[in-house]
Amino acid sequence: MIFSTAGGNYLLKQSIWLTLAIALCFIFSTLSPRIWSMLSPFIYLLIVFFLFLLLFYPVGYPRRWFKFGEISIQPSEFTKLGTIMLLAYLLATRKKLEKYIDILVPLMIVAIPAGLIFMEPDLGAAQIFLPILILMLYWAGMPGIKIFIFFSPLISAITSFSIYIWLVYIVGLSVFLYWRKRLSDFVYGLISNPLAGLIMPLLWGALKSYQQKRIIAFLSPWLDPRGMSWQIIQSKIAIGSGKLFGKGFLSGTQKKLEFLPERHTDFIFSCIGEEFGLIGIIAVISLYIYLFYRLIILAKETKNRFSSLFVIGVFAWFSYQTFLNTGMTMGLLPITGVPLPFISYGGSSLLACFIAIGIILAISKSKLEY
Amino acid sequence: MDENIKKFGIIRTVVLLSFILVIVYAIKLQIIEGKKYYRLSEENCIKKKYITAPRGNIFDRNNNKIADTRPGFYVSVIPAIVDENTLDEISHIFNIDKENIKEKIKIEKNPFMSVKIIHDIGFEQLSIIEEKREELEGVEVGVEPLRNYPYRDLTSHLLGYVGEVTSDELKKSNIYLIGDYIGRMGLEKEYDKILRGAYGIEYVEVDAKGREIGEVFEKRPISVTPGTDLYTTIDLALTESTAIFLKDYQRAGVVCLNPKNGEIFVLYSKPGFDPNVLVHGLNTEEWQKLNSAKNAPMYNRAIMSCYPCGSTFKPFVALAALDARMISKNRYFDSCRGVYFLNTRAFKCWHIHGRLPLIDAIVHSCDIYFYQLGRFIGIDTIVSRTKKIGFGRLANIDLPQEKSGLLPDRQWFEQRYGKSWTEGHIFNLSIGQGDLLVTPLQLACAYTLFINNGNIPTPHLIKGKRISFHKTNITNEAIEIVKQGLLGVVTFGTGVLARVENIEVCGKTGTAQNPHGEDHSLFVGYAPANDPQILVCVFVENAGHGGSVAAPIAGKIMRTFLQQTIKISKDTTVIRNYVQKN
Repeated sequence: MIFSTAGGNYLLKQSIWLTLAIALCFIFSTLSPRIWSMLSPFIYLLIVFFLFLLLFYPVGYPRRWFKFGEISIQPSEFTKLGTIMLLAYLLATRKKLEKYIDILVPLMIVAIPAGLIFMEPDLGAAQIFLPILILMLYWAGMPGIKIFIFFSPLISAITSFSIYIWLVYIVGLSVFLYWRKRLSDFVYGLISNPLAGLIMPLLWGALKSYQQKRIIAFLSPWLDPRGMSWQIIQSKIAIGSGKLFGKGFLSGTQKKLEFLPERHTDFIFSCIGEEFGLIGIIAVISLYIYLFYRLIILAKETKNRFSSLFVIGVFAWFSYQTFLNTGMTMGLLPITGVPLPFISYGGSSLLACFIAIGIILAISKSKLEY
Repeated sequence: MDENIKKFGIIRTVVLLSFILVIVYAIKLQIIEGKKYYRLSEENCIKKKYITAPRGNIFDRNNNKIADTRPGFYVSVIPAIVDENTLDEISHIFNIDKENIKEKIKIEKNPFMSVKIIHDIGFEQLSIIEEKREELEGVEVGVEPLRNYPYRDLTSHLLGYVGEVTSDELKKSNIYLIGDYIGRMGLEKEYDKILRGAYGIEYVEVDAKGREIGEVFEKRPISVTPGTDLYTTIDLALTESTAIFLKDYQRAGVVCLNPKNGEIFVLYSKPGFDPNVLVHGLNTEEWQKLNSAKNAPMYNRAIMSCYPCGSTFKPFVALAALDARMISKNRYFDSCRGVYFLNTRAFKCWHIHGRLPLIDAIVHSCDIYFYQLGRFIGIDTIVSRTKKIGFGRLANIDLPQEKSGLLPDRQWFEQRYGKSWTEGHIFNLSIGQGDLLVTPLQLACAYTLFINNGNIPTPHLIKGKRISFHKTNITNEAIEIVKQGLLGVVTFGTGVLARVENIEVCGKTGTAQNPHGEDHSLFVGYAPANDPQILVCVFVENAGHGGSVAAPIAGKIMRTFLQQTIKISKDTTVIRNYVQKN
């Protein structure tokens, strides 16, 4: 892994976390994965408890961290880990996943932490749970189409911003459902989708104004260059100005002169782009792709169902978060406050990722066992 | 898990595609648009500072400064950094409408470039801004050279003034920056390109708040080219005297020049305005008031006022007749009995002159003589000569907004009055009334032909310009005869009040008929007769007969000027200022 400190003035702190993380990684890698299978419900409850606690913890707004003097811990990172564990445990025991009801329990498991995180508020971290859920369901055996239909109201909600697109979608969906000739699908689809579409405007109001602004900023960045779109524009400038080879280590002017906010956390990818250019970006992404590739191969080869699902869950987590982060720094996706795994400054993220890796290493050792 | 293989495949493909998308987008940003972003990142942190060139000074012929620069404080903002609250604050401190400020900001395309929004702030306001520096992000104060006119309304029409460049002008040319001053009216406008010089550029590195961090060594600054000074032919002292002589009258225009080469000593129009006020900046209301004031202070009467020049036209009718060899100097017409009847219409003369030959008719300005002369030689003859002399055409002085007046010819009369235009119109033309329109400058230039054997120099305001003449081809004989008339006018004719002791003065009085009020008073004259040094044309609105108002003023001006050059004993009417300069 590259561990670039190009954006960091926080080198020292991160090194400490890193050391701790690697240590934990080693430790965990020696433990049998079955432990996690058994402990998962407890771990999950512990996490949820902490999340609850966080809501009443007076640290200021947004409420995402526990602060102990110099150290801050972000429980949402560990939540992802815990949730994946429990989901893997549950889905491992199910044989058949065909009905909508089968989705409900996993959905609940995901919805509770996601909801709590959303109330912090942290939309970025909360939304990651969805791809994790979908992918794990898919991997566990639920047919993709069913998943699609179940979650179709989400698509309805998104397209409801434009009445024309929404109508096209609804019509297309109806045709599709009719063609499938499954009554339950049909009924569900045609009730939930329009409902979702109509509720959407209400939900938009439930978003905090800065979240709304972020979405608007994403859609048309030059409306308010100094205000809401500042980050995206600066980030694009940083990346774009790196061109092929970048400006050189530590020479990024966007970073140096404080033009790019959050450059050591969420926008560290921009700094990589600025200082190392396209070469740097390709290098980093290649490394990520290699990691993800190894993960899914492992998931495929692992015989134990729990372990396999766990690996897929982690895969979903890492890959989606990476995609979100890199996309947002380039203006491809709206800004959401998710860090770049392993690279962004942040102790909790680092710890959680390395713990996950540790467990996965243990799994890989025992992949041929059932 | 076998079905997992299929899923594996799908997942792998999806993820791979997503990240390929990321890379492709990166390529787009970095390679395809890389240059643009690089430039933006530079613009982020490298700020171009424009340094305004000091405008060239303007001097009179004796090297007195009639336009120079003084330092003034301006306020500028960086659009990308300044926010609504800051703008409100500024608008409050300076009592300026926020929308006006926003208008100016909108013009600048680069959001990181400073835009000057307010000029010439007072010291108190400067202190307030400096105090609140930290709160007012993106606001800067600087010093710039501002135009200063020490003689205010004395030279206002001659010099014009400078005003802020408009957005249309900015679009057309790239030598102007927002907040630049550009000449409007007068010499400032005519010679703007020379006077303004060229701005310099300095490069500074700034951080996200717009604070300057240091020089940028990779980019070499471009140094300022200061504006070029203008040395005019104007005589400031004489202009001051002229103003004093006119103090009892509200509206007037005066042109004084060197008849031998066209150098202009005085170009004065009353009422004037204070151009310093315009440099400081007027709001729309004040500007409207200035522009629509009753006496039209913005109007340069010397080159823009068009009116019938009255009897001052007569010498040219006489010239036309003599040049065309249609009469001799001894020609008589019907006696002047005060009234002349054309069919049933009565045409008056201002006096009963009896029977006169040509020269005397000029000296005593007999209208009836000229009615008959004009009719005798016909309109075509009149027009052909006077056109050559320059009536109805621009005199081509180096100032904008000059008017060319009107010389009505046969065609013009036909168009205006139909085929049935009458000799009555010729009558009026012969005595310089009716539809004829002339500016004081044109009149002054026309009279120079008497001094240069029929050649008229182009009037100009800048020293050292190549002098050009245009030939009228009027015969010398004709000129000499009429000159005798001009000498007689001042010696014992209608212009005796223009006399200067011990000097022979030539000239002609005129009274422009004004249907709306009192007639205008005119006089054109030059002296000394044998070697003219100065030619003066005085035009005073609503002042009655030329002989009574314009002539004595012209006389005083000529005396003032000649005492300087010929050094005659000083008269008590010579002004204090003038004495000091000597």
